[in-house]
Amino acid sequence: MKLLVCIKQVPDMESKFKIAADGLWYDRSDLAWRMNEYDEYGVEQAVQLKEQTGGDLTVLCIGPERVKETMKKALAMGCDRGVHIADDASHLKDPFEIASIIAEFAGGKDFDLIFTGMQSQDRGSVQVGVMVAELLNIPAVTTIVDFAFAAGKVTVKRELEGGIKARVETDLPVLVTCQLGLNTPRYPTLPNIMKAKKKELLTVAATDLYKAGGLQETVKIEFPVKKSGGLFLEGEVESIADRLIGILREKTAVLA
Amino acid sequence: MEFTREIYWNIGHGPATVVPMYLLAAAAFAVLAYGFLRRLKTYRLGKPMHRTDRPLARFGGMLRTMLLQTRVLRVKGPGVAHAVFFWGFFLLFLGTGLIVVQADFTDLFFDYVFLKGTFYKIFSITLDLAGLAAILMLLGLLVRRWVVRPPGLETRMDDFVMHGLLLAILLTGFVIEGARMAVTELGTPLALWSPVGLAIGRSLAGTSPELLLAMHKGLWWFHLVLALLFIGLMPFTKFRHILTTSAGTFLADRGPVGKLTTIDLENEEAESFGAAKVTDLTWKDIFDADACTLCKRCQDRCPAHATDKPLSPMQVVQRIGELAAETPQTDLIDAVGRDAIWSCTTCRACQDICPAGVEHVGKIVEMRRNLVLMEGEFPGEEVMTAMEQLEVNGNPLGMGYASRGEWAEGLGVKSLAEDAEIDILYFVGCYASFDKRNIAVARSFITLCRAAGIKVGILGKEEKCCGEPARKMGNEYLYQSLATENIATLQGHGIKKIVTTCPHCFNTLNKDYRDLGLDCRVQSHPEFLAGLVAEGRLAVDGEPFVCTYHDSCYLGRHNGMYDAPRELIAAAGGKLVEMTKNRDQAFCCSAGGGRILAEEKLGTRINIKRVEMAAATGTGQLLANCPFCLTMFEDGVKGANIEESMKPRDIAELLAERLQ
Repeated sequence: MKLLVCIKQVPDMESKFKIAADGLWYDRSDLAWRMNEYDEYGVEQAVQLKEQTGGDLTVLCIGPERVKETMKKALAMGCDRGVHIADDASHLKDPFEIASIIAEFAGGKDFDLIFTGMQSQDRGSVQVGVMVAELLNIPAVTTIVDFAFAAGKVTVKRELEGGIKARVETDLPVLVTCQLGLNTPRYPTLPNIMKAKKKELLTVAATDLYKAGGLQETVKIEFPVKKSGGLFLEGEVESIADRLIGILREKTAVLA
Repeated sequence: MEFTREIYWNIGHGPATVVPMYLLAAAAFAVLAYGFLRRLKTYRLGKPMHRTDRPLARFGGMLRTMLLQTRVLRVKGPGVAHAVFFWGFFLLFLGTGLIVVQADFTDLFFDYVFLKGTFYKIFSITLDLAGLAAILMLLGLLVRRWVVRPPGLETRMDDFVMHGLLLAILLTGFVIEGARMAVTELGTPLALWSPVGLAIGRSLAGTSPELLLAMHKGLWWFHLVLALLFIGLMPFTKFRHILTTSAGTFLADRGPVGKLTTIDLENEEAESFGAAKVTDLTWKDIFDADACTLCKRCQDRCPAHATDKPLSPMQVVQRIGELAAETPQTDLIDAVGRDAIWSCTTCRACQDICPAGVEHVGKIVEMRRNLVLMEGEFPGEEVMTAMEQLEVNGNPLGMGYASRGEWAEGLGVKSLAEDAEIDILYFVGCYASFDKRNIAVARSFITLCRAAGIKVGILGKEEKCCGEPARKMGNEYLYQSLATENIATLQGHGIKKIVTTCPHCFNTLNKDYRDLGLDCRVQSHPEFLAGLVAEGRLAVDGEPFVCTYHDSCYLGRHNGMYDAPRELIAAAGGKLVEMTKNRDQAFCCSAGGGRILAEEKLGTRINIKRVEMAAATGTGQLLANCPFCLTMFEDGVKGANIEESMKPRDIAELLAERLQ
């Protein structure tokens, strides 16, 4: 089985963010970097599948030199090889450009299954996984919280609104995007950390894979303006409830 | 009359006595040797460990500990009983030895008799009193074991054999003496020098001489057989502790207190890390099970055991010994139990009190190393998350690393990157950097330093966790990563003097980091501040107040620092009402051993138990010297509902408030 998992290196969300000098993204200095949380579920599931079927698992990541640290974690979790798509300006690319680069790499390589995270913690567009599938002309199943593979068929559970789960069955090849609750990513063992240092980690220049143009342009990013604080409703429960309903009706679009 | 006695009286000193006697003795010693050699084979299942350096010092230490019973006497009741029993039995052993030397050597070959006159009188009375003391102490120990029955004291078949055999040896000894004196010494002045024998002799006075002679001879041989049985049985019963516990003292860890072994992570040959089986431990770890006498002093002091967690340090040691002797390939971690392994706080109360030099903590950490490094297992998801945060942000709290120095805002303290001209580097630690309650302690410390005219620098965002909680949890790889980075940063700045306000940072930088190349002076804050007060550089107002004080495990048992904090409290006017469990007997706050990262899910809360001990002093103020303790006590007073009546504070806060 040929498996691919796509990961992104994102800043730790506890970092203090500042706008970069060019105003187009956040300042990347003084940040702690880590694997995108949703991609961790993808790596874990891909490794579990690899262990189950004895397949070959490649981890792909786009970004500057520093993303290799995060790729080493994926290798230590169990990926066989890594492909680093070197791009110092990956943060300026829109989801379509990112998806195109990945599809350009994956096209023709006949991956049976591609795992991605549902979304990235910094940009959060929720588009890259689905777009990659479209560009490769393979089905995509998103926000999976359960995964099973048996007799050539993939069975997943998707998380929908209101806690409802949908059960979906597909053939191969397929791309899945992973959601919180899918699994608990393993902590790399020391022998695996050691082995990871020797695993193949190829670097490909992004320019080699960049064929499509962008579809979005970031004009500016800025912090939301700080508004006034919250409103504290006090008194009898019934009157609070009435006042709350009134506020929701008048001030928000929650109650149509 | 001559003050002496005929050795071998009524027994005969010819070949009919000597040959069987020596043959039996040879047999007994052969069994002893065989038994111990077999056990040696079991010890050798473990990995190598060098414990024979400085042999003279080790031997001297062993003799002192053995003969003065120093470690045994640390616990008074049974300790005194055992010590007196030991001295009594030892004197009887020496006495018998002297008889052998005279009867079978000096008298036999050189006609030289020294057991006569004044020397014999002293010899006689000493041995009688020694024997009496030994019997009384042994009866006391017997009553403790079978009547008083202290909770947690395991009694096995071994103990029946030991008490029975020793009593039989001692009692027959006196009856033999009594029988002899009934025939040869009654009414003579010499008899007064054997008071116990005399009493027995008098009670036998009516018996016919033929019966006395027969009784004497029969009991003499019986006593010989019992004594040789005692020797032969040694390797197979708890009697072995005479040799193994003494050897344990010889083989004790003479390195820095509590220092763990540093795994060589560069070693590409290493296939496995930590201990999954007894064969992964060292020979000393397996030997420790033999040195252990199940005295349960460790178990009695274990904070986890005291709060119904499944950990008993004594049982961990015993399990290792059992597996090594029977099934060395069995999974050790399953046998000891994960809950037990994760419950340890590395407080060292067990190891500190152990009279046999057993090393409990290292074994537990080795098993944790296996769980973490080979299985990626932790006691809970919250611990795995904390480890990941340590990797990403250099602190287990999940705070952004770039804001690490922000606690010092407004205090005029610069990071080394901004100003490298400093008197001392303050290694702040994760809690004082990011935890609101402990930031107050860091700020107090800076206030004190400024008052003393000390220019303090901090590493700010260059500082990472010292790695100690990770190390104690078994994550040696993460610890070494963090340590190596910290050391490179410190060396890069040419740091010569470091002060900490966290005993865990202090202990780690001062001991563990030496293995990885750190070479500068490291002080903990009570030591540093006490020095400033003594030099007159720091003046505190001595208006009287009452308080109690908690000796943290990592300044206390791990570093022997009990006095400096008390000097500071006294200088500040504190009338210290000590808790019953203080100094080396202090009861852990529960956060050591990396457990600050974990949730306490089993048994009852250790921290609540400790704050209740503090509350019992009626002082209203609990002084501490450690951010983990402070955190646990703040939580504890809430949990025990005594927030209003008991205030936990750090010594630095106390002093800063009382600055003149």
